[in-house]
Amino acid sequence: MSPRRAAAGGLVDRDRPVRFTFDGRPYTGFAGDTLASALLASGVTLCGRSFKYHRPRGVFAAGLDEPNALVTVLRGAVREPNVPATQIEIHPGLRVESQNRYPSLAYDVGAVNQLGGPLLAAGFYYKTFMGPVVGPLRGTRFWMLCEKAIRRAAGLGRAGREPDPARYERMNAFCDVLVVGAGPAGLEAAEAAAKAGKRVILAETEPAAGGSALWSGETIGGTPAARWAQERAARLAAMDNVRLLTRTTVWGYYDNNVLAALERVGDHGPAAAPGEPRHRHWTVRAGRVVLATGALERPLVFPGNDRPGVMLAGAAERYAVQYGVLPAARLAVFTNNDGAYRAAAALARAGAEVAAIVDTRSTLSDAARALAAETGAELLSGHAVVATAGRRALSGITVQAFEAAGGRLSGPRRAIAVDGLAVSGGWSPALHLASQAGAAPVWDETRQAFLPPQPSGRGWLAAGAVLGTAGTAEALAEGRMAGRRAAGQRAARSRVPAVAAPALDPHPAEVIAIPAPGKAFVDLQHDVTVEDIRLAHREGFVAAEHVKRYTTLGMATDQGKTSNVPGLAVLAAARGKPLGALGTTRFRPPYAPVSLGALAAERYGHLRPERLTPMHDWHVDNGARMEDAGLWKRPMIYGQPGETVAQAYVREAGRVRAAVGIIDVSTLGKIAVKGPDAAAFLDRVYTNTFSTLPVGKARYGLMLREDGLAMDDGTTWRLGQDDFLMTTTTANAGKVMQHLEYLLDVAWPDMKVHLTSVTDQWAGAALAGPQSRAVLAACVTGTAVDNETLPFMGIVRGAIDGAPVTICRLSFSGERAYEVYCGAGHGLAVWEALMEAGAAHGIVPYGLEALGALRIEKGHVTGAEIDGRTTARDLHLDWMLSKKKPFVGAAMMDREGLTGADRHRLVGVVALDGRPLGGGAHIVERGTAEALGESIGHITACCYSPALQRHIGLALVRGGKARHGSRAHVSDPLRGRFGPVEIVSHHFFDPEGSRMYG
Amino acid sequence: MVERDSPLGPLRRPGRHGHSRGAPGVRLAEVTPAAICEAAAWPGAEAALAEAIGATTGLGLDATPGAGARSAEAAAFGIGPGRFLVTGRHDGLVAALAAAVPADTGTVTDLSHGRTVMRIAGPRAEWVLGKLFAIDFAAHAFAVGAGRATAHHDIAAQIQRSAGDAFDVCVFRSFARAFWAGLCAAAEEVGYEVL
Repeated sequence: MSPRRAAAGGLVDRDRPVRFTFDGRPYTGFAGDTLASALLASGVTLCGRSFKYHRPRGVFAAGLDEPNALVTVLRGAVREPNVPATQIEIHPGLRVESQNRYPSLAYDVGAVNQLGGPLLAAGFYYKTFMGPVVGPLRGTRFWMLCEKAIRRAAGLGRAGREPDPARYERMNAFCDVLVVGAGPAGLEAAEAAAKAGKRVILAETEPAAGGSALWSGETIGGTPAARWAQERAARLAAMDNVRLLTRTTVWGYYDNNVLAALERVGDHGPAAAPGEPRHRHWTVRAGRVVLATGALERPLVFPGNDRPGVMLAGAAERYAVQYGVLPAARLAVFTNNDGAYRAAAALARAGAEVAAIVDTRSTLSDAARALAAETGAELLSGHAVVATAGRRALSGITVQAFEAAGGRLSGPRRAIAVDGLAVSGGWSPALHLASQAGAAPVWDETRQAFLPPQPSGRGWLAAGAVLGTAGTAEALAEGRMAGRRAAGQRAARSRVPAVAAPALDPHPAEVIAIPAPGKAFVDLQHDVTVEDIRLAHREGFVAAEHVKRYTTLGMATDQGKTSNVPGLAVLAAARGKPLGALGTTRFRPPYAPVSLGALAAERYGHLRPERLTPMHDWHVDNGARMEDAGLWKRPMIYGQPGETVAQAYVREAGRVRAAVGIIDVSTLGKIAVKGPDAAAFLDRVYTNTFSTLPVGKARYGLMLREDGLAMDDGTTWRLGQDDFLMTTTTANAGKVMQHLEYLLDVAWPDMKVHLTSVTDQWAGAALAGPQSRAVLAACVTGTAVDNETLPFMGIVRGAIDGAPVTICRLSFSGERAYEVYCGAGHGLAVWEALMEAGAAHGIVPYGLEALGALRIEKGHVTGAEIDGRTTARDLHLDWMLSKKKPFVGAAMMDREGLTGADRHRLVGVVALDGRPLGGGAHIVERGTAEALGESIGHITACCYSPALQRHIGLALVRGGKARHGSRAHVSDPLRGRFGPVEIVSHHFFDPEGSRMYG
Repeated sequence: MVERDSPLGPLRRPGRHGHSRGAPGVRLAEVTPAAICEAAAWPGAEAALAEAIGATTGLGLDATPGAGARSAEAAAFGIGPGRFLVTGRHDGLVAALAAAVPADTGTVTDLSHGRTVMRIAGPRAEWVLGKLFAIDFAAHAFAVGAGRATAHHDIAAQIQRSAGDAFDVCVFRSFARAFWAGLCAAAEEVGYEVL
């Protein structure tokens, strides 16, 4: 048997030993143990080193309020730091290491920090930021000197560098009533609401429902409380309308009863089942919320109160009763309230020797005296602990007579040898969620606690210790009432099970720090002492929120669960004001740490879904290198073995000019514009006129933004009198749809026009090159495709390989070209038929690179030129600006500044040194490779032109056309490119368009 | 006439996947019907459109948000103010509906190739969908035949409850493979069978 395991008792399964390692050493516990209880059972009292001073620290609490015993859990190569040992369920294969120590936990060189106390006092960060006023280290230089050393010395666990292979998920849940906390009050509330037929979610942080019933030693309805809780939880779990979520911490309370919770699905076992996440993040949308979150015990503040072996009394009781573990062999209790007497009795019953009970109060209740007598301890009322002894473990305490009213110590000091000290400074309701949900907590003098504010509207209800209620019987009654009210029933009092418990006084003495010399800690995790808070006050900080930030009180991973109220009490005393007058800091989410993995859930890696065209697999199978275009995947090139990207696109573009090529244009945005006002609508949104477009024809259109700048371009096809198919650029499809929907909803709600995204309805293949007509003629049935039947911008309908197609003759490449549209589900068949028909003509598939080269040669604009700063005139599209009708952007496009002669306008540039140009490179008039000249514009797109056999580009250059024929330089210092260019017309190739129209 | 291809390609792997203990939690299948279209009414003509849909499909629709109806042959549900997604087993449905909706009532747009419908059925269907959508899938909140227009991150989705334990999710065709992959991943925990 382990040295500290009680002979019997506890809810652990003594038939199931579990082996795990801590700092590489093997240990054994029982199923049902936490890491903390298993280590205590094995006699391990030293669990970690503190944040600033590297002081030895042991287990202090038993729940998620644990400030000291933070460890790093190792899962494969993944490190999860700063996990409270109280929150880790041991399981076979568990590996844990202590943190913030070097070279080992027992011998830590960082402990020398304790000697430099004043340097690390309150506000030391801010003081190092400011630095001395004069001298070589003035200002921030001092911080820069200190930073590395401070960061290395102060800290908690170390995160790993390996990616976390674990799975995380998110879940959305809806319920009528969410009950937070499955202690006696929460169980009662959940059952009341469930019996009323409501959908109930009951969330509990611990592995099992029950809360205090698991360790109170009371009986409920004649049954031991732990068994009562187990039976009640089993009954609830069996109900169809109840979801019981254990290992689930509700950490955020947001508007409209939206709550966030983290379920630790897989942390308590060695391996996850297939598909099972490690953590599941719940977003719960609740009709009503019942907060039954209980209360957190406060420590007492006295010198040496951080030594390993000092522990919250309720935690010690819980270790004894729930886990069958004695935190110490011979211990003392130090308290200012009756609650610790129950703990003392429980420890004595479990087999510990209780040497003394030290109580700051002079008068005690009969029930407390009776429990003290049962333990056989020496009862020292009107006394306080003023010092502790021991290095890495507690060896004794010193007590002295104490007058609580005046806060005075008097009389002789006396030492008592103990290896454990259970302390209790009263209880703080866990009102964090209520505070997140709204108003500020209110100080209650008799209960010596901040209580939740009154809820407003249809928000939360509360029951049990979170309301400051001390007794289990009252908690049960409040739970049932809250459950009934949450279910919309009358809150009539009804009989709840009888509770057998000692009649203890629920009210603690006033919260104070024991006024003895020595380092007395308020915030154990952040190493904030009483003196730090007093120093902050002396330096002018008087508000709770300011003192918190200056001292970092309550800002550690435990968010001050044990330290907030004692810290405020010290500040109140320094200010000479009652604690209630100070108020408290507001609680914000999260209530407890949340894994980032759970917040990201499935949104990691590429982060975005892929959007695929119907011909995607064909492209991949035929050597395409795919490129992202928004969410779409598009072929960049169809590379052949040994080919570079440049060689591939030059080959592909060359084939288009010489014979025929085919490109997948399914990604173009397509919007069905239908209704009796469709033509009039298009006249308003395009700069040019569409109402005059005959049915069966297409027209190129330009849209402006309301501010007169160019927005998007594309062709729109008139398929019927009131039926248009608008195409947009791939990138702007969503933006254009939003723009049009906004206009119809807000500007012109009376227009009878419907818009539907049909991007995915149609697969599109563009066939370009002198042989394109011959390819079509070889495979299209049901229509002729000659120049008379299908002239430039004409539309015909036919079939290819039995699939209906709509063919429009339009060109982006400057060659004779056609866009063949068919139902997306026929896309692959039509594409393959076109490839087959083109084989005799040497057809090649071409990608975005070749497309880019072809359009640059033609001077056609895309998003690189329609960049949100250019006007139609800048792009030489002023011929599209109708003077006969108003359109969106017309009122603003002639503004001064948009019409000046010095605007950057579209031109072509040719490299005169035969070297490649670079997109984004500047054009400068003068300058050298070393001295940067003044920029007169920039290159928007560039390529090697197979048709011209030169490196060319499009550019936006000040003055535009006026510079045609002049020389300048390309300047790209980032990529080390400088050289001469000639500025020319952007129509490099076939400016008359003879190749398109014939 | 050529067959309509499935966009799922190699990602559709019939058989049992994920957690293998016990019966599969859900069954996944692509169930894209032959005819899919969006019917939209002009303001004030919503009831007339619902009537025209009813006359063509035999479905009894009312024009309240989220309302819908199903039969063995056809299904329809509201996806926005005055807008319905109408599907049917026979590809003549779109033309028939277009003919039945006069110009002063509204418009009909063919989406038979543009949308892909996936069915998730089985005892854990609500659980798996709860991972993907912030929607209450419980029977009393989401009746058979009713529909919801929503989105999973970048993927717009229109969902109809097709049976007590089955939902049909309609997504843009280009997103179908990505959504299917996400659906399969979400279903691994409960075990799934691809039909």
